[in-house]
Amino acid sequence: MFFALTEDQREFDAAVRGYLAERFDMDAVRGVVEDTAGDGNPASLWKAAADQGWLAVLVPEEHEGLGLGLVEAQVISRALGAGVAPGPWRGTVLAAEAIRLAGSDSQRAAWLPRLAAGDAIGAFTLRGSVPGTVPAVEYGGIADVVVARSGDGLALVDGVTATARGSYDGTVRLADVQAGAGSALPGATPDVVAALTARATVLVAADLVGIAREAVSRTVAYDRERKQFGVPVGSFQAIKHALADLHVNVTMAEHAALYAAHALDAGLDDAALAVAVAKAKAGDTALAAAAAMIQYHGGIGYTWEHEAHFFYKRAKRLAGQFGDADAHRVTIAALTIGA
Amino acid sequence: MDLTYTAAEEEFRSELRSWLQANIPEEWTRSGFWEALPEDESFRLRRDWEREKALAGFAGIQWPTEFGGRGGTPGMKAICDEESVRCQAPSTVNALGLTFLAPTVMAIGTDAQRKEIIGPMLRNEVIWCQGFSEPGAGSDLAALSCKGVRDGDDFVVNGQKVWTTNAMHGDKIFAMVRTEAGSEKHRGISMLLIDMDQPGVDARPLKQMSGASEFGEVFFTDARVPATDVLGDIGDGWRTAMLLLSYERGASGIAQYTEFRRQYDEIVDVARTLGRDQDPVVRGKLARVLTDLECLRLHAMYVLTQVELGRDLGFEASMTKLIWSEAFQDLWETFDDVLGADATLDALDGVDLTPLHAQSMWSRSVTIWGGSSQVQRNITAERVLGLPR
Repeated sequence: MFFALTEDQREFDAAVRGYLAERFDMDAVRGVVEDTAGDGNPASLWKAAADQGWLAVLVPEEHEGLGLGLVEAQVISRALGAGVAPGPWRGTVLAAEAIRLAGSDSQRAAWLPRLAAGDAIGAFTLRGSVPGTVPAVEYGGIADVVVARSGDGLALVDGVTATARGSYDGTVRLADVQAGAGSALPGATPDVVAALTARATVLVAADLVGIAREAVSRTVAYDRERKQFGVPVGSFQAIKHALADLHVNVTMAEHAALYAAHALDAGLDDAALAVAVAKAKAGDTALAAAAAMIQYHGGIGYTWEHEAHFFYKRAKRLAGQFGDADAHRVTIAALTIGA
Repeated sequence: MDLTYTAAEEEFRSELRSWLQANIPEEWTRSGFWEALPEDESFRLRRDWEREKALAGFAGIQWPTEFGGRGGTPGMKAICDEESVRCQAPSTVNALGLTFLAPTVMAIGTDAQRKEIIGPMLRNEVIWCQGFSEPGAGSDLAALSCKGVRDGDDFVVNGQKVWTTNAMHGDKIFAMVRTEAGSEKHRGISMLLIDMDQPGVDARPLKQMSGASEFGEVFFTDARVPATDVLGDIGDGWRTAMLLLSYERGASGIAQYTEFRRQYDEIVDVARTLGRDQDPVVRGKLARVLTDLECLRLHAMYVLTQVELGRDLGFEASMTKLIWSEAFQDLWETFDDVLGADATLDALDGVDLTPLHAQSMWSRSVTIWGGSSQVQRNITAERVLGLPR
């Protein structure tokens, strides 16, 4: 029995977190959040994502990727969530996954090396369909290639027209994308679309788990020091018990995201249940943890100057992506109770 | 990531499963069988059956062979617990001895204690009770007042213990007793191993809200215990107790999941029988509970991984207790949602609900015994998260 990250996977995690801590801290995030006219993709961070293999993680070695699994990808996603890091990492990875799983040989050859190297930016959405307008696509405004629904399948679209959409989550940029029919991904059967949806869901769940853990850690650190009534506020049981419960739930959400990623990598029988469990648990937990982060910082947590709102707003956006907790509970009920 | 067991472990599984299948009478697995038996008879059946299992070599799975154990791996222990639940084997009657006392004796007992205590316990020749809680010492164990006064080679014990599992069936009790007059809090306590079969020990059943009597009260009136029957040093009982309680982190989480998941399926069956399985609110609540049960299974795999790596989980055990007990209680609260206006009826549409109600009532106790959820949250906050005391 080995249900944990391997040494290599832990090193990958430490590398991403180390980079963000040293080179892209909360001040850098704030810079992106407050630069509302900017494209939300700071060049230094994007270069790191390319140089350090964060973008190449799932791309096969024959297409100049690392050929790793979703377990490694969720490690990166979790670390990016913990750092509330901006940038089109997930869209690029998922566009590449769609092309890897459903694309033709020539589509793979044309796009995978470029996406893996950060030479092209990808976007991935399951809302709306092309030809037409697909709403609120992550980094739709700067994507070189967008993967979107087309009939029952998927299409790959480049040369789109995008209209920026305002979002109170400043760690992302969203745009409505007006696109033509594009070129079909020939392998996009319903099963493949479902597999892609599951993979996207797990990566979002992992980001939420990262948000949740960091929200709890930062709150614990603050409440150990912050004094009221002459003692640290973290010595009060009202706060202790809430943080203990959150710690438990975050730990469970971490397990759930890791297991779902592994279940998809290994093709386990309970993968569909595992994905629904992961997203339901991660979504609920991240929302609760980010709200608690504000509450248990007291007044300072409600200010613009404090970073709590980065976590809260990112959690609000991602909790609903690829199905909110209630939607996944409908799936869980169907799988364990029956139709 | 490797969620499989070794070939040797799987071989152990099939060997054990064969034995269990051949040795569990079919009627024992029928719903309500155990609940319908008189308590004494239920205990005797389980006691004798567990002894046979031990003699067949399926006990002390992880214990060294020198102590009569099987010398197996943590994975084998997990498999043993899981298969026992899967085959609906009767639960152990010597849980407190097997879980807590035996490993403590192995760690700090004298050679004589190791010899005298462990073998007979494995074969259920001696049933052990735990004497910790008192009317005035629940969560605050150090407030205990049960007294032991030295008289020649003996201690003479007076006082009361409560919430004693198997009080009516116990042969011996490992009890926390204040052996230094005037001592306070954690000091001056000894862990005495007291024979319950003597005039000075009076055990009485404690009828619980469920109507059952898993617990009892034990009264000591000039009970005698040789001063050599102390585990650890005299006056050092607190340290002995902390070591003893640290063994509450066995690899049984996967078995718990298996059991709770079967109960979930039973609740779903009732919902289906009553035509309430389509109610979206009920489905949502069941799905919420199922989510936490699945997380419990993953946490069990995490714990087993850490144990196999030889890591000490320390105070994380508090978190594990909190997780399973709260999830179990939440599970049974969904049963009320399924029954709705008929929540308290003994039977409904031909379904006997009493065995399920018994579990539902039991679920109120699990967040209290073994350290209440509130205590576990304190420990998690202070010892795991590092919040100030």
